[in-house]
Amino acid sequence: MKLDVTGVGKDYLIPVLDTVTFRVEAGEFVCVLGPNGCGKTTLLRIIGGLEPATRGAVLLDGTPVVAGDAHDRKVGVVFQEDRLLPWMTLEANVALVLRPLGLASAARRAAARRYLALVGLVGFEAYYPGRVSGGMRQRAAIARALAIEPDVLLMDEPFGALDAQNRRIMQAEVRRIWKETGRTILFVTHAIEEAVALGTTLVMMSARPSRVRELIRNDGRVERGRLVDDLNTMIMEEVLRQQGGATLG
Amino acid sequence: MSQREWSTRLHLPTAGATALIVAVWSLLSWRYGAYVLPSPLSVVLGFAEIVGSGEVWRHTGASLARILVGFGGAVAAAIVMGLAAFVSRLARGLVHDALAILNATSVFVWIVISIIWFGLSNWAPIFTTFMITLPVVASNLVEGVADVDRRLLEMGDVYRLSGGEKFRAIVIPSTLPYLVAGMKVGFGLALKVSVVAEIFGVTSGIGYIMNYSRETLATQMVFVWALVMILVMMATDTLVFGSISRRLARWK
Repeated sequence: MKLDVTGVGKDYLIPVLDTVTFRVEAGEFVCVLGPNGCGKTTLLRIIGGLEPATRGAVLLDGTPVVAGDAHDRKVGVVFQEDRLLPWMTLEANVALVLRPLGLASAARRAAARRYLALVGLVGFEAYYPGRVSGGMRQRAAIARALAIEPDVLLMDEPFGALDAQNRRIMQAEVRRIWKETGRTILFVTHAIEEAVALGTTLVMMSARPSRVRELIRNDGRVERGRLVDDLNTMIMEEVLRQQGGATLG
Repeated sequence: MSQREWSTRLHLPTAGATALIVAVWSLLSWRYGAYVLPSPLSVVLGFAEIVGSGEVWRHTGASLARILVGFGGAVAAAIVMGLAAFVSRLARGLVHDALAILNATSVFVWIVISIIWFGLSNWAPIFTTFMITLPVVASNLVEGVADVDRRLLEMGDVYRLSGGEKFRAIVIPSTLPYLVAGMKVGFGLALKVSVVAEIFGVTSGIGYIMNYSRETLATQMVFVWALVMILVMMATDTLVFGSISRRLARWK
């Protein structure tokens, strides 16, 4: 599935997104990077149809995303928090989102089990979210997003709440799942190492009101350590710019 | 199970304090006479008598039936108010103000008004119970509705759950604990309030029989019926609300 972000802008009390334009080809793993508060989450919410854009448009395979309206392309979202229903088992949580797809109850449960297995939660299907670790909850949230077989999977700093070790494990898992399923993934993070380890394309955002500062193909032609250093330099510049309050011309 | 756990289960300190109170009570009863303070023994005998004759069921049943209608009606009305507050911002404001006024109204106001409106009938204690428990149950429910996690509702939107699906999967489970908590407090209040209303105009119920016992100078029976009230309250608390709360908390 192809994703076109064309001139998207968003103003709250202050302008957050100026004009953001980039294109994602089907099956890409895109990491959106930028300083804290530059509107990464806002951009993801606009792409997911959770919020309207002030300017510009988002196209999924050429059809515009309208906030609040169901799109004919399926979008899965993994939020910063797991957003599982605490009173439902992991299996029931995943099966719930399959209801609108018109699957029968048995098929929903089977699919839920399949995707929980994919994220390594075999044996935990009947557990309530409060009884498993934060990493496992986030896995279940990923299983839920994958279960609808989304055309695009949006992930908003999904590992922010995890410790370093769990974070690395989850990164490897997501990378594996991406390879196995071939989904288009848009992954928001402020951790440069994470972006370089995961993404095939890196979108570096500028300070607020933000634009795309640089779009980098992470195809191994630039050595990883070098890329991390360059991105670190860029993000520091943008952080300073944002704190200084200067706007881009 | 260790000895220590047994002692906490049996509430040994409570048992000790009870023994002390019974001893002091006996002394005071002997000193001031049975009209002012009947002896513990006469209360026990009186309790055995009404259990033996079945009188205890007649009056407890009458009180509980009125509570069931009045309190049940209040729960139903509270659910309607909670739903209205959930779907409409205008209704939320109205419900909020109405509950503030009801909460500030004294029991006695409703008792007097209900006697004027319904005369000396069953409907007087039923109406009083309804008006007093409604704000308690409804306030809890409205608070529960306001506390539904918006982020979970947004998750429902992302996955295109219908309004009904979101209501069943998200809204009901998150407000149910508030409703049960409100009902628990409300039921206790219902029992306390309806017996007061029963003093006027009805010829059955715990409130009626307590007042009747006072008039016939049978003070020990006043104590017996107070004991019955306490037992009814404790029984519903553990049997009904205790098991409901445990069921609701099974995922915690």
